[in-house]
Amino acid sequence: MTQGGALRVPDGRQGPGPMPPAIVEALDLVVARRAAGLLPGDRRSAGIGSGTELAQLRAYQIGDDVRQIDAAATARTGAPQVRVHVPERTLTTWMVIDVSPSMAFGTAQRLKSDIAEGVALVIGRLAIRRAGRVALVTFGSGHSRLLPPRGSRPGLIALRRTLAEGVGVDGASEPDALAAALGRVGRVAGQPGFVVVVSDFRGDASWVNAMGALRMRHSVLAVEVRDPREGTLPAVGRLALIDPETGERIEVDSNRRALRERFAAAERRDREHVASELRRLRVEHVVLSTDGDWLLELGRKLR
Amino acid sequence: MSALVPAISFQDPIALLGLALIPMILLVQQAFRRRAQRYAVRFTAVSTLRAVVGTAPAWRRHVPAALALAALATLVLALARPHRTVAVPAEQASVVLVTDHSRSMMATDVSPTRLEAARDAARRFLDKVPSAVRVGAVAYSDAPDAVQAPTTRRDDVRRIIDGLVADGSTATGDALAAALEGISRDRKNGHRPPAAIVLLSDGKTTTGRDPVQVARRAGRARVPIYTVALGTPGATIPNPYPYASPLPVPPDPATLRQIAEESRGRAYTVEDSGELSGIYQRLGSSIGTRNRQQEITAAFAIGGLLLLVGAAAGSLRWSGRLP
Repeated sequence: MTQGGALRVPDGRQGPGPMPPAIVEALDLVVARRAAGLLPGDRRSAGIGSGTELAQLRAYQIGDDVRQIDAAATARTGAPQVRVHVPERTLTTWMVIDVSPSMAFGTAQRLKSDIAEGVALVIGRLAIRRAGRVALVTFGSGHSRLLPPRGSRPGLIALRRTLAEGVGVDGASEPDALAAALGRVGRVAGQPGFVVVVSDFRGDASWVNAMGALRMRHSVLAVEVRDPREGTLPAVGRLALIDPETGERIEVDSNRRALRERFAAAERRDREHVASELRRLRVEHVVLSTDGDWLLELGRKLR
Repeated sequence: MSALVPAISFQDPIALLGLALIPMILLVQQAFRRRAQRYAVRFTAVSTLRAVVGTAPAWRRHVPAALALAALATLVLALARPHRTVAVPAEQASVVLVTDHSRSMMATDVSPTRLEAARDAARRFLDKVPSAVRVGAVAYSDAPDAVQAPTTRRDDVRRIIDGLVADGSTATGDALAAALEGISRDRKNGHRPPAAIVLLSDGKTTTGRDPVQVARRAGRARVPIYTVALGTPGATIPNPYPYASPLPVPPDPATLRQIAEESRGRAYTVEDSGELSGIYQRLGSSIGTRNRQQEITAAFAIGGLLLLVGAAAGSLRWSGRLP
């Protein structure tokens, strides 16, 4: 394992590509509806506070704001009554972004990290609308980082700057990084919010429990980034392969059809396992591939 | 006895310097491996692939390379033209079995008796010795009483061996002299064939001349004497006089060893019949033979080629390429 948290802009970085405003606008409505639909009421949060919707009427107690005294109720009951409102808060979006070395991989149009960056930017741009705030948690590079929720431009700029730092250098291996990051969001996020997890969901499924716990309070969207090569092995003869995270080396003969088929089946099984776990937790699951137009795909999946 | 261990010698030992290639090749291979590590392709699904490929035992990866190196080593050895020392039957060689049948041979410390064990061992010797070798026999007690000059007719020798009766004293020196006499008279075209004497005795020389002197003469005549001291130190025989205590009949290995040394033969000490037969068998197969150098380069070359083919087959089978 290398120096914890060392980041590097990966070779062959393409950037997220064009993000046409029309599509982003369309996505805005979709994301807003998703977040709203999963939370209790439009932008409504748990607890009480100032707002426009009546939660209840109760007897006045010393310390209550006298401006909240309800004249009609006081007259009817003969004792002072106050109105208590459902609080309306701004929505905080938590981005949980995978920056493990395995994200610096892509054999089609762009790297997986490019897509993660694009997803984070688009959703971040939408999240700061309507006075929303955006927070960022990165994990997988050996040192998890957390940018606290910030609104408006500063939030977006911090997001963009952090994502531009790249991903962890090869050899940074953290098997339970996603679970730790989700647990951290669960502890830090006081108010219910919208959590977007962008990762390749590779490795063991230790994140399932943390995801379930997060799901109890927050609205969660899981964005899985894949590369077509991860699902199928091409027949290109002998290959010397190295795992970017663990540094594990293997030599295989990709001309063997049985091996390719077994590999494809094992990968399919793994991906199905991830999908079924997310379905069981009732977490929104979007799969993006490095070989297509990820923005269109994101909008289509969320519709 | 050098003929018992086939030694390998090399005609061109300078070629053995080629063996230094092997550590060099290992070093170069390590360097290549390190370089290959740098050029490995990053791939995120290695763990899945590892599970799919299954775990081949770690040693199998090294088998083709090890075979190839072994082939190289064998071919280098072949280049040095190895020779093997082989025992070939010596024509015209003669052996004289000098067998003690004094009274002490009655002792039963060697089962069934010393004499019976000696007779058994001598028969085995006769079976084992190559038929081209001529065998003679001298049986002695007070004096050499039956002398058979070396001959290819085994029956004559067998008759003497079968007729042994334990009685009398021990005249080892006279018996050796008689045997030596028989050998030196045995000339073909004015030149004496290689000869050896196998002396079996179980006790001190009691009469006659000094056997060590005779052994020295045998050494000068290039007739090695292989001596076999038979019996255990505490053995006794019944005393011929009534009411007297039994007579101790310990073997005399010291004198026999001296005899062997003087004549450049070898001394053996045995305490049971199985061991005795073993020694006679070995003597039978080694005395009648002569060492000859035989070139075995071809065997090494074939072995090297087979190893090479094995390395190639293993490599093709397990990693799909030649090593």
